[in-house]
Amino acid sequence: MDAIVVDKLRKQFDPPKGPVAVDGVSFAIREGEIFSLLGPNGAGKTTTISILSCLLKPDAGEADIGGFSVIRKPDEVKKLIGVVPQDIALYDDLSGRENLMFWGRMYGLSGSALSKRVDEVLELIGLTDRQKDRVDKYSGGMKRRVNIGAALLHKPKILYLDEPTVGIDPQSRRAILDGVKDLNSQGMTVLYTTHYMEEAQELSDRVGIMDHGRMIAVGTQPELVRLVGEKTRIDLGVDKDSHQLAEHWRALPGVASVTEEEAGPLSILAEDANTLMPLLFDSARAAGARVTKIDLAEPNLEMVFLHLTGRALRD
Amino acid sequence: MRALAIAWKDVRHTYRSFAGLAMMIIAPLLLAGAIGAAFGGGGGFSVPITKTVVVDLDGGAAGGALVSALTSERLADLLAVTKTTDAAAARASVDTGEAEVAVIVPAGLTAALSAASPAPVDVEIYKDPTSTLGPAIAGSVVQDLVQSLNGARAAASAAAQLAAMQGITDSARLTALAAKTAQAFSADAQKGGTYAVGSRAPVTPGGSGSTKPNTAGQILVGMMLFFTLFGAATPARSIIDEQREGTLSRLFTTSTPRSVVLGGKYISVFLVVLLQTVILLVAGRLLFGAHWGSIGPVIVLVLAGALVAASLGLLTVSYAKTPAQAGGGSAGIFVFLGLISGSFTGTASIGGAYDVVRHISPLGWLIDGWNHTMFGGSWGGIVVPVLAALAFAVVFFGVATFFFRRRFA
Repeated sequence: MDAIVVDKLRKQFDPPKGPVAVDGVSFAIREGEIFSLLGPNGAGKTTTISILSCLLKPDAGEADIGGFSVIRKPDEVKKLIGVVPQDIALYDDLSGRENLMFWGRMYGLSGSALSKRVDEVLELIGLTDRQKDRVDKYSGGMKRRVNIGAALLHKPKILYLDEPTVGIDPQSRRAILDGVKDLNSQGMTVLYTTHYMEEAQELSDRVGIMDHGRMIAVGTQPELVRLVGEKTRIDLGVDKDSHQLAEHWRALPGVASVTEEEAGPLSILAEDANTLMPLLFDSARAAGARVTKIDLAEPNLEMVFLHLTGRALRD
Repeated sequence: MRALAIAWKDVRHTYRSFAGLAMMIIAPLLLAGAIGAAFGGGGGFSVPITKTVVVDLDGGAAGGALVSALTSERLADLLAVTKTTDAAAARASVDTGEAEVAVIVPAGLTAALSAASPAPVDVEIYKDPTSTLGPAIAGSVVQDLVQSLNGARAAASAAAQLAAMQGITDSARLTALAAKTAQAFSADAQKGGTYAVGSRAPVTPGGSGSTKPNTAGQILVGMMLFFTLFGAATPARSIIDEQREGTLSRLFTTSTPRSVVLGGKYISVFLVVLLQTVILLVAGRLLFGAHWGSIGPVIVLVLAGALVAASLGLLTVSYAKTPAQAGGGSAGIFVFLGLISGSFTGTASIGGAYDVVRHISPLGWLIDGWNHTMFGGSWGGIVVPVLAALAFAVVFFGVATFFFRRRFA
């Protein structure tokens, strides 16, 4: 059964001339699934989450959460969801515990049930020892953990996490990713947005790739990788005019595509890297260029994005 | 309950800020204390005693009456009178600053008053040009008495003419009659007379006048009303702050309805102002010994003032998009309303044409109410000011709610 169904969602800011942030996006997330929205900054991920959180009304389309429309039944939807916003949304002058108590009240908890649940969440996010410290004394990672904890107080069936690992240390990032997996193993449906390919690969049952407000591909990782084929990505750095070389390399047999990045290496999608590599070196030598860097990558989501958009995900 | 949780969080946040406390509590107390001290140390407006030298060169009844008037008990708080017989020495004491004013009664004043064709005689007021109030008081006393002497002389003359018309020709009897008439007129004038010009202080409308509020208290009322506007603006601005910091959006993703979230914000603004007012009233009582009036009217005025400030604070934030916009815009509006209402001088400023203009501000009406109750007035006198202030509050609240609804729809 689908926990989230999104159908032809569209949102334009400051119409009629403003940017179209979400342009006819459709996808569905099954119950108990971790679904990642992957895309660069400005792809429309946060706008999509805002609509699914009932913060924004779509211009067109529909979205149902747990069978309730975000347009017609927002109050019902809000009972089902927990939202972890991209930016830390806590009160700095309150302690970690006071923050959780406050947000718990906002989710309708009270009395001993609230206090008990706050204890559980503090344990879950590993901040029981620091619960009485003001949030402005916390590290970035600790704030992120409280930020997530506040969305878990009412035990939501569906959890939205909007880029929850931006700007934190690797240790905290690891803890958050493990925490998401734990929550999912307990049956929670997770909608996770990120522009880190590695996170989407590690966490997701399925991935939706967004760019310029459009959903350009949806599927499991193997399904998406098959879009690229069994191709290998070769990143080559050269000491000469890469544009001229790119033209040469596009003509070589076994080259699926060559992508030029400004001040970066040339990215080549190869049918068979072993066969192609000698040809690339020969071609470079013939053009009077020297290969200064080489990097090989097996098919992944980054390559899918590259294949579908002609741009690297980090762009 | 959720609205109260939001309100409590904001009240705590506001009162944890030193900058907020300085603006809401310390500033009005300091200003009221300073201005109150400048106008008499908190015990009411007082006038310093004027050193006065009196020279009676007349030696007659008129001169004696003038000296007697200047040295009377009722002027003891205003004039410290020294008598001398040397006019030059009296003027010299003013020149050297030993005295502020010299009153010199010329020789022949009594004789001139009783003569059939008197020559003009002037009572001299010799004063320090840098001193204004003391000489004015002494001059006023002399002026009053001289006028009553002139009146007595006119009355005596009229009485003698009437008697002559009725056939009395005995000059001794006419003289006695004139003297008796003059004496009766003079005595009547000095004791206040049958008819008098009523003197009322406009600062006690409806009040019994039995209560005498001190200056610092009067000033503090105005300061309190003015600074409650800033007190209200601080939590009201938290709506914009929270919108910018993302916590407001997060609140809107919870199951708490938006109306409850905004309601909590409204309550917090009201509570912050209410608490600020109570603190200022208690501090005013403890620090300045201020007397605020009967408890009932005081409670009503406190609540009305808090509603006005809260609704205006919300209004000034409702249309702003950034904290800076809200801060700048609201400060301008608050200062204008404070100035126009007389908040900087409190209940001490009421009177004149300004009395009409200042009622375009709700603070003007509230000052009226406070003025009434501070002077011992009862419920009746605060009804109109409170209703007028609440009318402002209703309008402010309505407009603010309209803007907020449009903004967060």
